[in-house]
Amino acid sequence: MKVNKIFLGLLVASLGFVRLSIAQTPLDGLMMPKGEICLAIVYENTTWDRYWEGSTIRVNQNIGTFTRQMGMPMIVGGITNKINVILSLPYVKTAASAGQLTGVQGIQDLGLSVKALLVEKSIGKGKLTGFSNLSLSTPASNYLSDYMPFSLGFGANELGIRAIGKYELDKGPYIRASYSYLHRGVTEAERDFYYADQAYYTAKMDVPNAFLGQVTLGSWMFKKKLRVEASLTTIKSTSGDDIRVYSMPQPTNKVDFDRVEGFAQYYFNSNGRGFGLIASYQKAISGRNMGQFSGYGLGITYQFKAF
Amino acid sequence: MKKYNYINIGLLLITFLVSSCVEDLPTKYDFTGYQFSNLDANAGQWKLVLHTSNEQIPLSTPAASGSPELLKELADAKELQSKATSAQREAVAYWTNNPLIRWNEIALELATKYNLIPAPNPDGSYPVPDPANPSNYPKFPYSHPPYTSRMLAHLSVAQYDGLIMAWHYKYKFKRQPPYQLDPQIKSAYETNGLFSYPSDGAVIATASRDVLTAMFPLEKEFLAQKAQEHLESLVVAGINVSSDVEAGKLIGAAVAKTALTRASTDGMKNAQTTRAKSDSIKNAAKERFGWVWENQETPQRMVGLVPLFGKVRLWNVPNVEAVRPGPPPAPGSPAFEASAKALKQYATNLTTNQRRIANFWNDGLNTYTPPGHWNRFAKEEVVANKLSPVRTARVFAYLNMAVADAGIACWDAKYYYHYPRPIQTIPGFKTILGTPNFPAYTSGHAAFSGAAAEVMAHFFPSNASQFRTWAEEAAMSRIYGGIHYQFDADAGLDQGRKSAAYSVARAKQDGVD
Repeated sequence: MKVNKIFLGLLVASLGFVRLSIAQTPLDGLMMPKGEICLAIVYENTTWDRYWEGSTIRVNQNIGTFTRQMGMPMIVGGITNKINVILSLPYVKTAASAGQLTGVQGIQDLGLSVKALLVEKSIGKGKLTGFSNLSLSTPASNYLSDYMPFSLGFGANELGIRAIGKYELDKGPYIRASYSYLHRGVTEAERDFYYADQAYYTAKMDVPNAFLGQVTLGSWMFKKKLRVEASLTTIKSTSGDDIRVYSMPQPTNKVDFDRVEGFAQYYFNSNGRGFGLIASYQKAISGRNMGQFSGYGLGITYQFKAF
Repeated sequence: MKKYNYINIGLLLITFLVSSCVEDLPTKYDFTGYQFSNLDANAGQWKLVLHTSNEQIPLSTPAASGSPELLKELADAKELQSKATSAQREAVAYWTNNPLIRWNEIALELATKYNLIPAPNPDGSYPVPDPANPSNYPKFPYSHPPYTSRMLAHLSVAQYDGLIMAWHYKYKFKRQPPYQLDPQIKSAYETNGLFSYPSDGAVIATASRDVLTAMFPLEKEFLAQKAQEHLESLVVAGINVSSDVEAGKLIGAAVAKTALTRASTDGMKNAQTTRAKSDSIKNAAKERFGWVWENQETPQRMVGLVPLFGKVRLWNVPNVEAVRPGPPPAPGSPAFEASAKALKQYATNLTTNQRRIANFWNDGLNTYTPPGHWNRFAKEEVVANKLSPVRTARVFAYLNMAVADAGIACWDAKYYYHYPRPIQTIPGFKTILGTPNFPAYTSGHAAFSGAAAEVMAHFFPSNASQFRTWAEEAAMSRIYGGIHYQFDADAGLDQGRKSAAYSVARAKQDGVD
């Protein structure tokens, strides 16, 4: 596949739950050849006006509509034909349309991801590919995670490991599935006492780990100049507490959700080089301890042969 | 083969991170008891707070050493100790030989658990907790700072009076502890020879259970289970026999009853007023000063938090007028404008350290509140100074009386002056902290902290400047957070200090030093 592959980051306008765009980026089933580099700038805008407090939906007129915007520069490089590296550094801005609490903005987390092509096999009229991906991200500024839902991120290191399988027909349609484990460390609050099902006498907050599963149907069109996809993503935290009644969320919360999304990427050249455009739409269909978000993303990519 | 290696490296990394990053975060104060720096042998003569005589609760003379009754109790204790389960041994380690620390911690945890503000009804009105139906939403109590300060004061005073009485009887009857009467019984804690009848631990367990059960009725079973575990641990630990425990329970139950009788008539039940009463308070302020505080939430809360808490019975301050500050500068006046300008500057140029201070002291909803924060400091100071249980109780009793008084006085000023918050007076003003549902002047954080610091400075003079610095920082934190003016903080600190002076004066006359 001689195509570039920036998968649009899917920053989620969650109640501060934000590592997803980076987690998602390495999820596609593409691989750039050695020496190819792709630069991308992605903008995302997601909003919610209701959120899940535990699993109960809550409208809070002191938040109104919550908006999360993200601008994310990314670099993807083909180290070899079978190993790609992805670097990203989002800038995030949050605001609420009502109430008195101030929004914040700043640099969020530096993400580094390595994707390896492990299996490549022709089967019938198509090809089966398998990838593995390892990602690391770490807060790149001293933003305060314990200021949800406004905080830029959850303020902890994350290690992600993924398995991705894809079957693509020679004519263009494909199906892809992936499963990820996201291991999160602790974040540091500015208070040294908090309540998460019980009292904690420390500034450290345990950010729950999570499993992420995704199923995607997609297809190439117009001689591989256009790629369209529809996905269903589910994420489940392995621990954590619920937002208490009419109370603020915090990084210890158990965040779960299911999301549908549509995605399209257009390449001006069918070899993938040069400019490309991406667009996406996403919507949460169920969740726990997060905003019922929906939003869009737009991006521009540029791919070239560097070495 | 190469691909395989990448997977292996990944798995190794995962294993490493999982094993290295999972750490136990502390859910309680990490201490295991200590040798008391002083047994306070004369504590039975210290001045009681709510009681008049250290024999107000009569105890019968305990069975003498060598008597069949006591020998039987010792044999039972030995049996219990030798057959202790691991859960029982863990309980012994948890409760320590200064268990007031743990009960204070439990009180703070419950204060946190119940510190949730009611959410609006679908029609835009707000429900109020009903003590007669505590489990109906919103659950009773809403353990806001005034409620928590009052809860802690009643708890600590009951504990203190109970321990003074216990100490009196200990040194009257001079019953040796079981580990001295029977060499086969081992004390789980450092031995100090403290006389064992009545059990000071049983006084604390019973008094704390009863006061907290009244303050947090939905926790009745949880508290009963905690008290049961604690009482049992006293014999397992080798420091008491069952008659010590039974005698301690008598005192604990009686002092709790006295404290709760006081609580039932202190005016708290009228503190959260009707809309009509709230409006009349508001109108009085408007006529008097020309300004009025209004809640800025949507939907608007039509009644502020406990408008009549200022009428609740004081502990040591003679009356609220004695510590009520003069009026704040009128909105629009030069002094007001200077303060508002400073707030806007903080909002746009807040330093990382100022943000940290604002958040460290926030102690808002879903926390133990400022009174709880100062109890935590007191706990740490008590352990650092290895205070005996009765001296520990004294610190908490005076601290919490002073803090409750400061809260009452502060609330009087809040609703007397009914002064608007910055988000009301400064157009478009946004904050990093949530603005509470009560008027600005004086600052509750400042009043609570100013009072607490003075009591702490009295009991722990070598750290006095530290406590006062903390109080000033707590007061400033609300300005950094955008929810108080400088004059709220200054007047609150002053009011807190003046309120505490009455408690400190009383402490100086309690016959201890």
